Amino acid sequence: MAELGEPPVVSVSNLAKSFGPTRAIVDATLQVLPGEVHAIVGENGSGKSTLVKILSGVHQPGAGSLEVAGSPVRFFPTPRAAQAAGIATVFQEVLTVDTRSVLDNIWIGLESVSNRVRAAEKRRRASAVLAELLEHPPALDDEVGDLSLSERQACSIARSLIREPKLLILDEATSALDFSTRSRLFGMVRRRAAEGASTILITHRMDEIDEIGDRITVMRSGSTVGTLALGEWNPGILVQMMTGAAEQAAREGREPVASADSPVVLEARELALRPGARPFGLSLRAGEVVGVAGLEGHGQDVFLKALAGLEPVAGEVERVDGSARQAVRSHRGASRLGIAYVPRERRAESIFEWMSIVENFAIATSSEDRRGPFLSERRSSTRFAEYLDLLKIKIGRGGDAITTLSGGNQQKVTIARWLASHPRILILNDPTRGIDVNAKRDLYTLLDVLAKEGLAVVMLSTEVDEHLELMDRVLVFREGELAAELSRAELTRERLVASFFGGQEAGSDPTGTATTGTTSTGTERQAS
Amino acid sequence: MTITQTADTRQAPTAGTRFRLLLRKYYFAFALALFLALLITNLLVQRDFGWVQQVAVFAPLALAAMASTPAILAGRGGIDLSISPLMTFCSMVFATWLIPLGLGGWPSVPLILLLGAAVGLVNGLLTVLLRIPAVVVTLAMYFVLAGLSLRISPSTVGIGDNWVGEIDTGIAGFPGALVLILVPVIAWAVLSRTLFGRQLFAVGGNDATALSSGVGVRSVRIAAFAFGGAIAGLGSFALLSVVHVADPGQSTAYTLLAIASVALGGTTLLGGRGGLLGSLLGAGSIFLVQSLLTVLKVPAQWLGLFYGGVLLVAVVVGALISRSGRTTS
Repeated sequence: MAELGEPPVVSVSNLAKSFGPTRAIVDATLQVLPGEVHAIVGENGSGKSTLVKILSGVHQPGAGSLEVAGSPVRFFPTPRAAQAAGIATVFQEVLTVDTRSVLDNIWIGLESVSNRVRAAEKRRRASAVLAELLEHPPALDDEVGDLSLSERQACSIARSLIREPKLLILDEATSALDFSTRSRLFGMVRRRAAEGASTILITHRMDEIDEIGDRITVMRSGSTVGTLALGEWNPGILVQMMTGAAEQAAREGREPVASADSPVVLEARELALRPGARPFGLSLRAGEVVGVAGLEGHGQDVFLKALAGLEPVAGEVERVDGSARQAVRSHRGASRLGIAYVPRERRAESIFEWMSIVENFAIATSSEDRRGPFLSERRSSTRFAEYLDLLKIKIGRGGDAITTLSGGNQQKVTIARWLASHPRILILNDPTRGIDVNAKRDLYTLLDVLAKEGLAVVMLSTEVDEHLELMDRVLVFREGELAAELSRAELTRERLVASFFGGQEAGSDPTGTATTGTTSTGTERQAS
Repeated sequence: MTITQTADTRQAPTAGTRFRLLLRKYYFAFALALFLALLITNLLVQRDFGWVQQVAVFAPLALAAMASTPAILAGRGGIDLSISPLMTFCSMVFATWLIPLGLGGWPSVPLILLLGAAVGLVNGLLTVLLRIPAVVVTLAMYFVLAGLSLRISPSTVGIGDNWVGEIDTGIAGFPGALVLILVPVIAWAVLSRTLFGRQLFAVGGNDATALSSGVGVRSVRIAAFAFGGAIAGLGSFALLSVVHVADPGQSTAYTLLAIASVALGGTTLLGGRGGLLGSLLGAGSIFLVQSLLTVLKVPAQWLGLFYGGVLLVAVVVGALISRSGRTTS
């Protein structure tokens, strides 16, 4: 429990951080008291991870001040400096050196020329930490690459714990842990708290916060919006704080095109995105725009790839065309059946940076440009011209390098590439990520036009607003399972965000949340 | 060991897995087996093997292979293609400048090692700080050094009556070149037990982890290049001792064979796994293949085919043993 009178272990105020034009943190203030477990919650992209990365010395802030144990200090220039100040962080990514032993992995970076530890002492301390953390600890000489994911994450947690930090930061570090290890970790966190050491816990799981949290700081769009003490929070309040004032009473949504009579074009049955997950099904109708939502990494990506034949999962995906049914078994097969997939990482997965705009467009449909044994550049250009207007692509000349275009226009070219194959189903993996507002608007219009022409669209988006504006229904994923399906009528900001966190059963209480939403808008307006 | 480990509750690995884990721990096992097999064959075929002379002829390749290893171990595409020209360049500096200056005696050893390390350092700095791929940086350095050597002297430079010339004959029957080979082996054995050695493996294995754990990733990687450069400096003495002249035309003789030796020795070119001993055994195998084929009067055209075949087998074995035995739970 937090003790009064002592200065905070760490205190940051008015923190700001931008990555290029993106403002990851606008204004964050956080105080961590001695001996407390301090949870930080917020939606995707609300700045939680950036905040702890600044505290861990990974990123340097643009503005703000930092105090450690009551005295002002400079922000940590490196992870090493943060660790010297008693802050150890476990990140969401499982960070281990797989080619080295468990012992080496636990002690990496801790020894220095001035601080040598005897081998026997190293083994003793590593064993002690592992024995507390794992029910069946691996041998210290085992190579880490041979361990399970949970055990590997336990090794990186042990690496932080062995430093006996004054502040331990767990940045979604528990998601890779199995249940027993997680319980044991929480036991250790509580023991540390009793001894006066603090912990910052970032998690998407309300039950974890309820289990060990002393206080919660809520973040929204790069700012901290408030800190609540034990007993002051419940899921409703937290969701309201996370979604904030942005709910518009009257939002302009798309007019749905598809109806119950529209033909089914794709059907998935008994899909299980990870072993042991509850299977689910889906039927997709022509003209429908279906959103895929959830917190980062909860199976949405796997779901899209399963539909596109890119990732083998348990269950069946079938392309339906009238009475004909054909199973989707490979990505090539999916393309042949009229399923187009636009990947997420524009640079890594879809753009050929050394090629021209037209070449980038034509790459998937080059066979149409054949003239004898050769490819006709002019024919590509002619085909491309059809899409320039539809997509509102602004280009100089088609022969220019694709890299001369803005991110938004590059994305449009990629989408045009797949539209040129005349798909019946378009799968988009977060297409508006990192593109400017106007390009986004163009894309929304395009999707509407396409839906009216009978194209079925499945679109993953990390932006709540996009779901509210575009989707006929939204599938919400949590821990590799379909957690909720919200129809257009049920779709509100609160409902959607609450279903990310599993705070309440979707579809159970539509009026209650909506009312709180309006009230909070009212109070916040008065406050500002 | 004072700690008892609770391994009893874990599934006992199958014989195959255990064999693979053993091979992985002794990454140089394949190269060792190959080396011993070739050595025995050589001894059977060649009655007068001539140890001292053979070791002296082998030494340049051995040192080039070992010098190429640290940069590769440091990972992220680290590789040093300029090792072979660096050895020649150091030998040119020794013969052309140090001997006339009266520094041709033992003081030349630290000077040449420093020169090698300095060139390695430049490679490391360019690669790490400017994030230029190591292949490009060191390939450029390869041409620069080969050019400089020719600039220093377009033809061979004799070393006269110098101590280096006595290395190959040996001291009291003990092959002098063996000393040259053993120095980096011992230095490595010591180093891999130090902080630097451990950090080198951590950085090569996963640099994100190393960074977040507070390891100075960049300095470790730069140091790896410098260390390799220093071994190349030592290699210049091996080069000089064989032919008793510094030969600017020899710049590129060992480049590819050295990299092949590293791969043959079980070091993964991805970094983080391997070591100098493996490279030494890999180089030994290549040398012995060469020697055997010469004795058996196999035409020289077949050499490349043999190297290639052996290397392919080694790489396949390496890929099989490094496949993770990770449990799926």
